[in-house]
Amino acid sequence: MTTSATISAASATIARMQGINKWYDSYHALRDIDLQVSSGERVVICGPSGSGKSTLVRTVNLLEPFQQGRLHVCGIDVGADEITRAARLAVNRRVGMVFQQFNLFPHMTVLQNLTVGPIWGSGIARNEIQELAHRYLERVGLMDQADKYPAQLSGGQQQRVAIARALCTRPQLILFDEPTASLDPEMVNEVLQTMESLATEGMTMIVVTHEMAFARRVADRVIFMDQGQIIETAPPDDFFERPQSQRLKTFLGQVLKH
Amino acid sequence: MSTHFVRQALIDPRDAPVAAPIHWRRALFPTPVIGALSLLLLALFALFGWRFLQWSVVQAHWLGDSSEACPGEAGACWAFVIARWKPWLVGNYPSDQLWRAWTCFAAFALFWIWVVRRSRAASLQRVLLGFVLLPVGLFLLLIGGGPLPVVAPTRWGGLLLTLLVTLATFATALPLGLWLALGRRSRLPMVRWLCGAFVEGMRSVPLLAVLFIAATLLPLFLPSGFAMDLFWRAVLAFAMFNAAMAAEVFRGGLQSVGRGQREAATTVGLSDFAALRLIVMPQAVTAVVPALVNIMIAVIKETTLLSVIGVSDLLSAVEIGAKSPAWIGEPNILISGYVFLAVIYLTVCYGLSRYSRRLEVRR
Repeated sequence: MTTSATISAASATIARMQGINKWYDSYHALRDIDLQVSSGERVVICGPSGSGKSTLVRTVNLLEPFQQGRLHVCGIDVGADEITRAARLAVNRRVGMVFQQFNLFPHMTVLQNLTVGPIWGSGIARNEIQELAHRYLERVGLMDQADKYPAQLSGGQQQRVAIARALCTRPQLILFDEPTASLDPEMVNEVLQTMESLATEGMTMIVVTHEMAFARRVADRVIFMDQGQIIETAPPDDFFERPQSQRLKTFLGQVLKH
Repeated sequence: MSTHFVRQALIDPRDAPVAAPIHWRRALFPTPVIGALSLLLLALFALFGWRFLQWSVVQAHWLGDSSEACPGEAGACWAFVIARWKPWLVGNYPSDQLWRAWTCFAAFALFWIWVVRRSRAASLQRVLLGFVLLPVGLFLLLIGGGPLPVVAPTRWGGLLLTLLVTLATFATALPLGLWLALGRRSRLPMVRWLCGAFVEGMRSVPLLAVLFIAATLLPLFLPSGFAMDLFWRAVLAFAMFNAAMAAEVFRGGLQSVGRGQREAATTVGLSDFAALRLIVMPQAVTAVVPALVNIMIAVIKETTLLSVIGVSDLLSAVEIGAKSPAWIGEPNILISGYVFLAVIYLTVCYGLSRYSRRLEVRR
């Protein structure tokens, strides 16, 4: 790598953000973010819209650059002034992501969606990755859809393909950016169940979601964000039963009543 | 009455009722005013149609080998068309080598039939490749060399030349336009600026001016000893002008691919270049194929400008024919040639436009 971003020895810490600040023009979107995620940990981030939670996960894989602070993810250490394309590529070959809008490649079949990254990005042999892709498709319950195009699938199926696509890059960490927010209600559960089974298998996950029941069942730690900062961090039981800050109490009151 | 309704038996789907076709009387005369307008238009149409029929069939002259076959101004002079059509198609191509010209037409027709009849848009890349490879192959065949005697481009003409200039323009303007469109999105300011200046400059100048520059000014700037055929200079002008047009089309196509696609490509580990090649470009090109076909239609029509700088395209071939000693006579001779020309252009361009419409509907 041409930058001073270096690969350090593997540790139990998969991602660490230190004093990260980000501005969109003059708008201060992330404020002094300090966050550490260990291997195998499931972290759920919630908060009102515009609180910076999506920006935070998109910073973890450098989709969003930041202006201050240090990011350490999957053994790659990047400072605010060291965010290069090479660094972003290196991070993204170790971190998977699932988007709110699925972002499947519409001109490719499901199988091609799963294999294009490993084949052309990481140079993995075609038959090897196809075998893996079929395994992951089976795992998300879509083994008979491999040759269909995304437009032929329901929203829930598309999002499960997106999860399988992320898995095919063999990530050490998967980021979920509101994965169920644009799904019809009856399809939310199939996606949540897929994510839950991933969690029980020990995948490290950072999930931005409004699904509080999911957070309660699956998370090791829940983070509440508001106005670009982390307001409260707690294990799910404490988080939902004994919220400390007034902001979180108000938020939970609004979210859980319905 | 209860407010709680529960359906006991589900309703099976039924066929939709067949809508009665709209009666012509209701379509043409729904109100008195529109009815009067319809009548007026029908009358005009009938009058013009009758006049044209009179001119083109009833009073037309069909046989003969000189202007004496078409006395007076009243009717069309198809004898002129029938006697002269061959050079209009192939120009001055040597008559003992004409099979090469006919092969070109056949290859073009076969390619076109294959394009139109292919079942799915999946072979799009191959079609575009055909647009680039076909003219190269046809050029080699027409120019000759090796076992084939060399025929200089100055001897090509007529429809053959029109088609070749169109294809050659396409073969060069498409890749160049794509590079220009990508260049305008480059991270390097100089590249961005140069590509933008070229595209905007070309778009702001009439094609005729570009052609004149290529025909008269360009030779002055070329290094001495490096002569460039007028034909090639004309193709160069067409290529540059239409590359700017294609660049704008491609730019729109590239913009139509959302940011989410590029982000997803990044997160599966694709480099920026791989993302462009595998994710963005295929979607962008598919989106703009109808617009590219429209550029092709425009190019075909623009080739008539070649006659102005003295390259013998289809239009000038017809005009030269009307000036030949045997056919100097009444204006209806030249007019008949023009009508014939119009029919050829109409057939080719309408076919293309139908094709582009079909591509639009299919997506």
